[in-house]
Amino acid sequence: MSRQEQDIEGVTESFYRKGKTDGLPVVPPSEERVERMLEGTDLPRDEVIGRLGTREGALTVEKLAVNGVMAGCLPIHMPLLVAGARALADPKSNAIQASVSTGSWAYLFVVNGPIRRALDVNSDTAAFGPGFRTNRTVGRALGLAYKNTARIHPGEKEMATIGNPFKFSLFAGENEERSPWEPLHVERGYDRDDSTITFAAPNNFLQYKFEAGPRGDQEMVESLIRNTPPHMVGLKTETANERYEGAQLEVFYALCPYNAQELEAYTKAEIKEYISENARRRADELSGLGGGNAEDDGLQSLWRRQFADPERIKLFVTGGSGRFNAAMGPTLGGPTTKRVELPDNWDALLERYGDGLDREWGQAGGG
Amino acid sequence: MYDPVADSEAAERKSIAPRLEQIEGARIGLFDNGKPAAEPLLDVVEERLEEAYPSVTVDRYAVDHLNRIKNDAEMDAIEAWADEELDACIGAIGDCGSCTKYLVYGIESAERSETPGVGIVDEGFALDWDTNARDFGRELRYYTMPAISEVIDRDRFREQLTVDVLDEILDELTRPPTPEERAAEDAESESETTVVAGGDR
Repeated sequence: MSRQEQDIEGVTESFYRKGKTDGLPVVPPSEERVERMLEGTDLPRDEVIGRLGTREGALTVEKLAVNGVMAGCLPIHMPLLVAGARALADPKSNAIQASVSTGSWAYLFVVNGPIRRALDVNSDTAAFGPGFRTNRTVGRALGLAYKNTARIHPGEKEMATIGNPFKFSLFAGENEERSPWEPLHVERGYDRDDSTITFAAPNNFLQYKFEAGPRGDQEMVESLIRNTPPHMVGLKTETANERYEGAQLEVFYALCPYNAQELEAYTKAEIKEYISENARRRADELSGLGGGNAEDDGLQSLWRRQFADPERIKLFVTGGSGRFNAAMGPTLGGPTTKRVELPDNWDALLERYGDGLDREWGQAGGG
Repeated sequence: MYDPVADSEAAERKSIAPRLEQIEGARIGLFDNGKPAAEPLLDVVEERLEEAYPSVTVDRYAVDHLNRIKNDAEMDAIEAWADEELDACIGAIGDCGSCTKYLVYGIESAERSETPGVGIVDEGFALDWDTNARDFGRELRYYTMPAISEVIDRDRFREQLTVDVLDEILDELTRPPTPEERAAEDAESESETTVVAGGDR
């Protein structure tokens, strides 16, 4: 292979021509780089994580590693990549519909547990923003892996009308250290010491500010309701079962630590219950996506509940100081959480490759 | 350099079903893929069929939710319905990414029973149809209409879907297959599964 065929410009151009990139330059997946990436897992390289798209493409551990290299990942990202890919490939997540729909859904990933520290996953200031290598590259790698397995391109199977700038970049850790509540993965049945990645597919990211003042807790929760537009609804049809054959829509609320701490006196369950009970809209405001039934809800016929039940609401804490929160939704499909399994030589791998995550900025007392 | 594109098993090239010799007297199935616009559009197709082809009988099949279609049991049920009840099948609607994909699954199911099928899709989704159908190895036929995406109003469909338009849709069920659409028969001897590596299409 000529030098030109191996350099970033040459590989980026030939891969772009064949629809194998997200439009950005890629790190060439040379044999050496892919072999190194595979050091990050104990799994056999030909293990099939899932079959995606109409073509039933086989996403193997090796193909995942190739996409990981292209996105700029390190070998120590492999455990998180594998868990994220298992979430995407789980039929329950309905990632296929999210990937191809006119609705322009993004891949949201929330990381929990000790892996956040090991991989320097940003969970604090600017958690969802640019700047951190793990947040940016792992989200991108999972997006590339899906695209290159299902073989979808804008206009060919990927029919997002407007498109979503967050599609491959909605990735953050939960700020468990600054949360008054049990973290998302504990709510979803994992131990606090487990590391997990949760996937869901929202098509909106809406921020708003809640200022501290004489206003009480109730107004904070009311502000969540007020900032949940009518098309962000929560419902689950009876057919949305383990295989995913129906509709499931939810809203993920990302609360900043300050506002979350002001609600410390309440459990997550109580807050969800309150939102579910009190988020009501005029029937004509709710989108065709659904919402409750007025008669069942005991409401006057012109009103509907926005959430069919409290379980269609997810709360997690992320971000840094300040008083901005975000609502992400509705999410399409069943949110899916997978445990991050570490290889036997994890400590040695961190020793060998952890330098790639070192930074001299953003730390008190740092450079 | 490694290829990031996943391998897949190449679908065996298959011919489309033999077409009808005539529409008169045929049993035509109207397949609803669960998208809200499918029912009003198919209602108008049925009205036009009654007007123009009184000898045709119509049968309907509706999927509860479009996500159900990618399901072996549902696809088998569609195939059995087409096999037992129909001479031809018209499906609706391809007006978004997922519903176009799942309409392809539905029409493919009908064609598996040797029942000629056609899907009605918004003209902006033609390439989407083509690329999904290619994965099944069959040049499944479709008919495009302009700007019908997310329309749920029967009167708008009545304006667009005239008897002339119906005849164009029905032409997809009667026009003999082209050599490309019959390509499978030439390749029948190569029925072994082959793997499509990476970016080859």
